Amino acid sequence: MHSPLNIEKRQFRILYKTFLLRVVDLELLSADADTSRMLGQFAALFAGLSYLFTFWVIFSGGRFSPDFLWVMEHFLIATTMVVVGLFSVLCWESIFPDRSDVLVLAPLPVRVSTLFRAKVAALIAALSLSILSLNIISGLVWPGYFSITNGGGYLGMLHSLVAYWATMLLAAGFMFGCVLGIQGIVSQLLPRRQFLRLSALLQVVIFFLFIAVYIVEPSLETPKALVAPENQRLLTWLPSYWFLGLFQQLNGSMLPAFAPLARRAWAGTAVAIVVGGASVFMAYFRMMGRIIETPDIVPGGRRANLRLRFGTLLQTSVVLFSIRTLLRSRQHRMLLSFYLGATFAIVLAYLGTSLRLLNLLHGAAGDTVDVSFLVASIWVICFAVMAARLVISMPLTLRANWIFRMTEIRGVTDYLSAIRRAFFMLAAIPAWLLMAVLFLLRWPTWQIAGHLLLLALVGITVVELSLYGFHKLPFTCSYLPGQSKVHVVFWGCLLVWVPLVAARFEVRLLHRPLSFLCMVLLLASVAACARWRTIASAKAAEGLTFEEEYPPELFALNLLQNVGVPLKSSDPVTHS
Amino acid sequence: MLELRNVSKRYSSIPAVENVSFCARAGEVTGYLGPNGSGKSTTMKMITGLIAMNSGSVLFDGKPIHDDLMAYKQRLGYVPEEPYLYTHLSGAEYLVMVAQLRNLAAKLAIERIDGLLRLLALYDDRHVAISAYSKGMRQKVLLAAALLHNPDLVLLDEPFSGLDVGSSLILRSLIEELAARGKVVLFSSHELETVERISSHIVILHRGKIVADDSIERLRTLMSLPTLEGIFSQLAIEQDTVAISKQIADLIHA
Repeated sequence: MHSPLNIEKRQFRILYKTFLLRVVDLELLSADADTSRMLGQFAALFAGLSYLFTFWVIFSGGRFSPDFLWVMEHFLIATTMVVVGLFSVLCWESIFPDRSDVLVLAPLPVRVSTLFRAKVAALIAALSLSILSLNIISGLVWPGYFSITNGGGYLGMLHSLVAYWATMLLAAGFMFGCVLGIQGIVSQLLPRRQFLRLSALLQVVIFFLFIAVYIVEPSLETPKALVAPENQRLLTWLPSYWFLGLFQQLNGSMLPAFAPLARRAWAGTAVAIVVGGASVFMAYFRMMGRIIETPDIVPGGRRANLRLRFGTLLQTSVVLFSIRTLLRSRQHRMLLSFYLGATFAIVLAYLGTSLRLLNLLHGAAGDTVDVSFLVASIWVICFAVMAARLVISMPLTLRANWIFRMTEIRGVTDYLSAIRRAFFMLAAIPAWLLMAVLFLLRWPTWQIAGHLLLLALVGITVVELSLYGFHKLPFTCSYLPGQSKVHVVFWGCLLVWVPLVAARFEVRLLHRPLSFLCMVLLLASVAACARWRTIASAKAAEGLTFEEEYPPELFALNLLQNVGVPLKSSDPVTHS
Repeated sequence: MLELRNVSKRYSSIPAVENVSFCARAGEVTGYLGPNGSGKSTTMKMITGLIAMNSGSVLFDGKPIHDDLMAYKQRLGYVPEEPYLYTHLSGAEYLVMVAQLRNLAAKLAIERIDGLLRLLALYDDRHVAISAYSKGMRQKVLLAAALLHNPDLVLLDEPFSGLDVGSSLILRSLIEELAARGKVVLFSSHELETVERISSHIVILHRGKIVADDSIERLRTLMSLPTLEGIFSQLAIEQDTVAISKQIADLIHA
């Protein structure tokens, strides 16, 4: 007979392994993911980043100015924090007990405390692994250089190494605790059904917030900037600088002016860990019963407007299905957030310094439209359409698509017009409206109206290019990963580089009405050609595509037909 | 009339259905029976056009369905074996989507949806997500979606699955009523008593081949067996059911 303690240990080990493989919501990244393989790929990706952070040590020959070392210290801390933050957002659904956990495990003789310990152990292990892999090379090489500021030597290097890893662990604990705390507090305050509704929105908002802060936060790494009175208010809100202060303290190289930053780091970490830990604890011991009693319903309860129209009946059904899927499917919403977040990052990075952005907001940039904002607006519309195209290609409940197959009672061109409308409603129109509002609020001029007209034509062209050969209803066709084709990469690169040149050209045309009109006509012709090409491709298609297939590696040459023995259409073609 | 002529389907050279031929006439209910894995659902999916057959043909009103598949789909209503639905939509949203895809005029669609939801006792939950529906409620949504456009051919694959007693009785009468109104009704079920009660014509499939295709009375006479259960057991069940149940009980007891 096994003793109760042994049984509990065994249960803990089994649950720990299960939870560890489920920590990052891999389903969110890939529908049929091999979890252990994907975790390995994540670790390799992080280790690759770590190598990149260290790569230029080789080229520089290891000679760095003290100012550069300060920047590097902050960069490594901020990067670790943002990666842990995004990791926490991806873990969002697996931190707290969900309905399936409760329904599967509750009937089994497993104590809640065992469940809780296994979940916490899995979270700590996964978090430690991500920090370790992200800093596996940089965390060994850079502390050697950072020891210059604490006196150097072998002892100094060891001191720096310990300070570096301790700072990274504390910064990671702070980020993870913050996400846990926010989620935990909201889950305790709201009824479960409302929490489930708000949870999805909160997840996306935090995701964007982490990316935005990482990119927009100003460079204040020099001692002069860190002690400047005008920066003190800003530093209060930038945790990555708190941990820069903490690293200096632990490294023994702290200037007195950094003491408040280090103090804030200690206090912040303590609060985040206590609040986060308490919310997980309360979730396990208070929420289990509530979870069983409340269904995990995302939509519902509200009366849907069943008479809403977006064109013909077919167009309406496809547009509404697309909007509802995107709003209600966590996987698709997160994917779109990821792509839009990446767009946001590229645009912000291009707009360069946050100062230029602040100038825009505070009206210090004058009345002339900066060409970089025109480039940014073209990128936003192009990337929004591309992001929608990528997300729409990912299926939702593939087996339910039989209803679309059964009701395929029209030609592909009819469906194409419905899919086109979905693209406009989901991506092109919202992006264009956003740009229009921002631009017209800031620069209410005829030139901007002209730019918005050109932007609309660019949007139409990009939608048509995205639709070429795309004979799939949104979210209904199976998806085969690794199908990126060279021409897609080519067009993607072109979308990045063309606006850089075109916007400079456009600025000149906006002041010459005749040239501008020519430009409008040219772009309208391009859009019309793209549309004609897309429709021609749809007319040639036999029907909608519901299953993507790998191209056959072996082709039947039908050689027998040449000697008068035709192959039957039913004869199987062997694929290797 | 629905007619299958020598229909065959293979999955990676493993035959699922072999040379299946039968007719389902308008105005009568055809029961399609067979043990699990005998090829019933594969046949149903071939009749809907969802999967392609390797050989043979399916004809509706004398015309091969693949000659004008779109026109055929407009006349077809189908309840699949598994209740795969878009569970992020509410029952009403799903039915409106199906009506729009079927090009049903908005006013008529709303009237029919409201009516079907009321009659199938789903009206109060029409704005709740399907993810929160029970199996029986999902089955009712499938049934409503299949009947919305007043189809001429009704294919029902295990339509009683998950339904409560009251709903099963309604569905049983509905199948008879649809046939009485001149529709072709083909349905498969494991509930032999129900099949026996409402079907005028029985087709039994075993290991992908038809082993019986006749009216229920003639089958009873030919096989000298009083019930459909007896006929089915003799034609399609190879195992000693009593012995297997005893073995299972012995196994868990050991």
